[in-house]
Amino acid sequence: MLFVTIDEFPSSLAHRIKEDLVAIMRKRGIAALAIGASALLIAGCAPGQLEDDSPQGVQTANPEDFAGEALTYMYFTDGPDEEATRQLIRGFEDMYDVTVELEILPYADLVTSTLNRLSGGNAPDVARLTSLTDFRSDLLVLDPYLGDDYADEFLAGPVQAVFNENDEMIAVPSDLTLNGPFINVNLFEQAGVPIPEEWTWEEMLAAAKEVKDATGTPYAFAMDKSGHRLSTILSQYGTYLLDSDGNALDIEKAEEALQPLIDMMANDDMPADFWLGSGSRYEGANEIFLAGDTPIYLSGNWQVAQFAQNAAFEWAVAPNPCAEECGGFPGGKFMAAFEQSENPALAAEFIRFMNQADNQETFVTIAGALPTRTDLSESGVTYADETTQAAMDVFLGDLRVTPEAGFASNANPAFSASATNLVDAVSLVVSGATDLPSALATLSRQIDDLVAELGS
Amino acid sequence: MTTASTTTARPRRSRWTGGGWGIKIAPYLFLVPNMAIFAVFTIYPAFNGFNMSLYESNNGRTFRWVGLENYGRILTDVEFWNVARNTAVFAVGFVVLSTLIALVIAALVNAQRRGKTFFRAVFFIPVLVSPVVVGLIWNWMLERQNGLVNTGLGWLGTPPVPWLVNGTWAMVAIILVGMWMQVGFYMLILLAGLQSIDPALYEAARMDGANWWQQFRVITVPLLQPSIVVVVVLGTIHGFQSFDFIWTLTGGGPVGATTLMVQYIYENGFQSPIRYGVATAGGVLLFIAVFTLTIINWLISRRREAV
Repeated sequence: MLFVTIDEFPSSLAHRIKEDLVAIMRKRGIAALAIGASALLIAGCAPGQLEDDSPQGVQTANPEDFAGEALTYMYFTDGPDEEATRQLIRGFEDMYDVTVELEILPYADLVTSTLNRLSGGNAPDVARLTSLTDFRSDLLVLDPYLGDDYADEFLAGPVQAVFNENDEMIAVPSDLTLNGPFINVNLFEQAGVPIPEEWTWEEMLAAAKEVKDATGTPYAFAMDKSGHRLSTILSQYGTYLLDSDGNALDIEKAEEALQPLIDMMANDDMPADFWLGSGSRYEGANEIFLAGDTPIYLSGNWQVAQFAQNAAFEWAVAPNPCAEECGGFPGGKFMAAFEQSENPALAAEFIRFMNQADNQETFVTIAGALPTRTDLSESGVTYADETTQAAMDVFLGDLRVTPEAGFASNANPAFSASATNLVDAVSLVVSGATDLPSALATLSRQIDDLVAELGS
Repeated sequence: MTTASTTTARPRRSRWTGGGWGIKIAPYLFLVPNMAIFAVFTIYPAFNGFNMSLYESNNGRTFRWVGLENYGRILTDVEFWNVARNTAVFAVGFVVLSTLIALVIAALVNAQRRGKTFFRAVFFIPVLVSPVVVGLIWNWMLERQNGLVNTGLGWLGTPPVPWLVNGTWAMVAIILVGMWMQVGFYMLILLAGLQSIDPALYEAARMDGANWWQQFRVITVPLLQPSIVVVVVLGTIHGFQSFDFIWTLTGGGPVGATTLMVQYIYENGFQSPIRYGVATAGGVLLFIAVFTLTIINWLISRRREAV
């Protein structure tokens, strides 16, 4: 037997061993007391609440707890989504016996108005946002209200953007957008050019020029003047402005991706005036498409509802062209609550209500948006009419092949400013002020500076 | 003993106008409400702007002291110097052209025997239109392919002018549109000046055999100088502060060719990445430039008056 008891030792030795053990126990006891006291002291001086690492389950709220309370929801609208939101708010008010004040403001004022209200200590309880960059430190941590596992209900891509540096959830991805090409079916049919099930960039541009030549449209291809839309092409050629660590621009791949656009603008196959004539402002090319001036228009799924209402011709969504990668480039909106909210529990409950499966389905169906919930994405969503359904099915199909890196790029705090710089770089080349490699080299340096300023 | 007073009885003085102190303080009391509003909404924000320019902030709530770093950042920024050059070109072109055209229109309107009020109203209408709307209207009119202006020029056999897509033409476009928008206001100021000149002076000059140009040079311009100085000062301020109609007309493009100082400030203050410190430092530099030019204008006009 390997172990022996103290009593088996000679009595003098056993006595000394007992004394040593008692001494050690005493010393350890003092050390333990000292450590405990230090811990209490440090906890007492901690700058904030100590973190509780134990996992929190998805909590449920009792509607009766909120009866008679009120919250404000700051909102911008893309059109049909407003009616969907109002409808859902009515349901929330009825269920919880609360009042929700919907404050609609122009999209252009969203960031500045929200910042001003935060400065004045008058933040809305909940806001619909397109980017969390300017508000990260002001957003309410939702985990205590919605649980640690709540994020699992959403697609892995869009949910990447909603965590803070402590890995806490500070927003919920409420709807998803994806960029993709719209086709004027009438023009394609008139030109006798088939619309393929899949194509490369070369094939798509060749088809566009063929339709232009056959039908006499002013342009072959149009796209919104937007760094986000340009990122679609970068993504398909296997490069991004940013990844989760910082600058991810591969200049050679970017050159390969963007040169065809520059050439098309030089050849009047794409409207250069449209690109140059609006300075640093965003400009949508939807009116060019609606006027029937181009057979292909690169934009995103938020145009579907508008085209369903206003297009005087048959249109469709084609799959994004493939190069090194397939799929589109993602974007979307978030619902977030603010730490300043006087009723954070109600705000969090409102966010949960608006994004539960049945309500999100209602919203995306009416608004013509893509769901962010995993269950809805897997089951699919039934839209109002056949054209919309067909278009959204193409976007949903593209979403499945969209690289995860696109979501990471879009979630980077420096994305918005980098995308603006990408537009400036392309504009410089289109105007003839510089060549594409030089413009991209400058862009890469600008992205480094932005990452240093804004973080990753 | 009662004595009959030989002095006439003075009317009873009210509390605020009777005594020496009261009569001194009364005008200031009338000014107090206006000055209070001016102090709260103009003076305090202006001084706070100076203060903010010494800090860095991206949310308007938390500030980090950086001293003159924002100024250093602006003055070493290539974009700032492009913007400063654009602003100077625009301001000079706008002030010179606006003053000259306003003077010509004022002289023409003043020479009308009938319909003076009608013409005055017609030229003043653009001043009443929102600058944002002015920008949008002219953006449509100056479009290269389908714009009204190029269509008109096409009838005259002129090839389309790239008003909004060529840097030089875009600068010409914003100067012309800015002039169109403000010239009615300047014309009114100059017209008032012209109407205050004694017609007898022109009559005497005509009797002495002075022609139209000599009358204009020797009588009109010197006597109109105070009004011209006002127009030049206001034009300089307008020129340096122009933003709204340019934003909707060209967006500061193409590739920054019409980006002026206020747009630079706006983009730093309100577009990602938000840099309130840099934006307010830009505002302070703009203030210094406009203030300096106004002082120079004033000194020149004073010297001329002395001569």
